[in-house]
Amino acid sequence: MNKKAVTILSANNISLKYKTRSRLVKRFEHVALNNISFELYKGETLGILGRNGCGKSSLLKILTGVIHPTSGQVNVNKHITRSLLTLGLGFRKDLSGRDNAILSAMLGGLNKRDAIQSLDEIKEFSELNDFFEQPVRTYSSGMRARLGFSTAIKTNVDILLIDEVLGVGDAHFKEKAQAYMTNKINSNQTIVFVSHNLEQIHALCDRVIWIENGIIKSQGDTKKISKQYQQFMHRL
Amino acid sequence: MNLLQAIELVHTQSRMSLKADASKFYLGYFWWILEPLLYVIVFYLVFEVVLQFGRGEFLLFLICGKIPFLWFSKSITQASNSITQNKGLIGQTVIPKTIFPFISIQEVLYKQWLVFAVMFLVTALYDHPPEWSWLWLIPLIIVQYQLIVACSLIGAFLVSLIPDFRKMIAMGMLFLMFASGIFWDINTIANPELREYILVYNPLAFLIDAYRQVLINQTMYELSHLSLLAFLLSIFALFGHILLQKFDSYITIKVISS
Repeated sequence: MNKKAVTILSANNISLKYKTRSRLVKRFEHVALNNISFELYKGETLGILGRNGCGKSSLLKILTGVIHPTSGQVNVNKHITRSLLTLGLGFRKDLSGRDNAILSAMLGGLNKRDAIQSLDEIKEFSELNDFFEQPVRTYSSGMRARLGFSTAIKTNVDILLIDEVLGVGDAHFKEKAQAYMTNKINSNQTIVFVSHNLEQIHALCDRVIWIENGIIKSQGDTKKISKQYQQFMHRL
Repeated sequence: MNLLQAIELVHTQSRMSLKADASKFYLGYFWWILEPLLYVIVFYLVFEVVLQFGRGEFLLFLICGKIPFLWFSKSITQASNSITQNKGLIGQTVIPKTIFPFISIQEVLYKQWLVFAVMFLVTALYDHPPEWSWLWLIPLIIVQYQLIVACSLIGAFLVSLIPDFRKMIAMGMLFLMFASGIFWDINTIANPELREYILVYNPLAFLIDAYRQVLINQTMYELSHLSLLAFLLSIFALFGHILLQKFDSYITIKVISS
């Protein structure tokens, strides 16, 4: 069966402009995304490739529904659930890993009792041991990422959007996270995976969209786009 | 997220915040009572000992004004900043913005029960033992909660769009402290029109005066005025909620790009 047949989400001409007012009359306008269109198919792993600041994270936020594009639309059935997996930026630093995991699970739609029941699994996957009971402010960035990854993967969603989380943590955890991802990919989960790491994109994605300065520079087969991107990076 | 989930989330997070807050200090939960009492003592020293205001039962008078005022000012200050302080979470989750001010409001409210208990204890020690008429404090507390919700939602909306409002709210709290009869009695204003004007247009002044009427003077406040306040504040609170809902996506962009 061709698993790319069913469109689960489509982005039509989406643009995003940020306007920042630094003083009363001083304004800064930044076009983060300009006229982006693509389709996401059920069960595929779509990679979004690009340098830092090219608009990848903004695109993920739009696809998750956290922000709305300035123009254009994201068409997705309202029953399709989406979740953004990031480095745990949403954690409250003064709360313990345990409390943050409960809150994350509740934000993901669980009630408190179910959230508490999912804790053992989260604690085990994160390998934080005693640090799980400590405030997140005492964590290293790798530990925060581990907690972020472990809490996010516990929610069952139709589209999982992942923002560069596999690049952090020690080698052992990276391997574990990658193995989990591979497992998810094989289980027909629809995934949008953002990274500037060519190797990871290559290992995980069926198809790639390359974004440069807010526009789609190229899209298509992972091998072909990776090669173009590599050549582009060498020329810089 | 449905209403029940939202209520459970607000309740859970505010309790967690209280626990985390207490764990930062050596005296932990004791600060919940100590802080408002220290405020009262400072005011007492300045106005009674140094300036010799010479009012009878001044400490009790002060407690019955300062403690409700602190509930109000702490809630508004904390809740107004709550949306901007959750930038990280707002950038990665679709979450109704009303949740954030409510977490702050509940956090302060849960501490407030204990502080109110101290206020009642001090009142009893001042030879004003508990009476059935104290039950009239319940509508007062409910209306003050409504006032806090309305101001917090609108404050959080304004600060999330224009951060300068944070400064204005801080100034506003200072102004309200002087204009609400915390350390002076609103009933001593010689001009009756001015007195009426303050009681009508400053709900906090009315509420504080009403707390004192029930606890110290054993008299009844104007119930019709309180009912009107309850009605108007419900509309304002709803308006604040609608503002946060209507401008949700604009607020998200503003907060994450700030």
